[in-house]
Amino acid sequence: MTTPQSPVVSLPWRVLDDYRCFGCSPHNPFGLGLEFAEHPDGIVTSFRLGRGYESYPGVVHGGLLGVVCDETMGNLIVLRTGLVAFTTGMRMRYLQPILVDETCTCVASLGAPGTDGQVMSARAEIFNSEGILVAASTATYLRVPFSTTRDRISLDDEDADRLDRALADAMFHPTQDHPPVQDHKGVQS
Amino acid sequence: MTTSPISPSVSVADITAALTAIVAGELAVPAADIHPDTDLRAVQGADSVKVLRTIAKVEREYDIELEDEEVFGASTVGEIADVVYRTLTTS
Repeated sequence: MTTPQSPVVSLPWRVLDDYRCFGCSPHNPFGLGLEFAEHPDGIVTSFRLGRGYESYPGVVHGGLLGVVCDETMGNLIVLRTGLVAFTTGMRMRYLQPILVDETCTCVASLGAPGTDGQVMSARAEIFNSEGILVAASTATYLRVPFSTTRDRISLDDEDADRLDRALADAMFHPTQDHPPVQDHKGVQS
Repeated sequence: MTTSPISPSVSVADITAALTAIVAGELAVPAADIHPDTDLRAVQGADSVKVLRTIAKVEREYDIELEDEEVFGASTVGEIADVVYRTLTTS
């Protein structure tokens, strides 16, 4: 469903053979199957939603655009920090409708880490096929080490170990434009 | 000139200047034609979508979230600049 123009970024979740994330899994037949690529501001995804995601006739349901923004921001934080990111708050601003079957892009960028080092904000913007800004979102995320949240995620020990390593690898592969995220004390996450 | 206690370098005048540039770009009118008492919705070529897009760009510029009640309650450039200033100084 997605067609990023740059090479697709490998998400840590891909080490799990059967993960079903509604936003980014290729294994969920009902999901969006988003893929991401590096972007000067963060990461970008391209998507086209058909009538199965319709609201008013011919118009994409706004809730789905929230999913796209949340997914893009959340995965950006995961990729930059190697930590699991849980959404704690999110605001959408809808500017104009997106039509079904219209190819759009969503770009997410990082905000400033919170003063406690655990909370991080992010911003996402959706552009329509003409490059016009049609929706914008800001959100905050709680960043936690995978080990902290291990008991809340349904994985067997083998998959948990694989994911733990994949998250660590994500942290060690910052891009030239995006060095590892530092918290307010200047300590790398 | 009013100055924010949180962001000392940001004043209502600074915000008004930045907002004027954004409005001029979004509504495709000369910046010289935009004044603090300009009613955004009365500018030729303006519509609710363009005004809302202007607000979105202002929010990005200052990394803030404006309350919808305040956004829709403000009409002029000066009123919106005041909303931005209040948000910056109270957040």
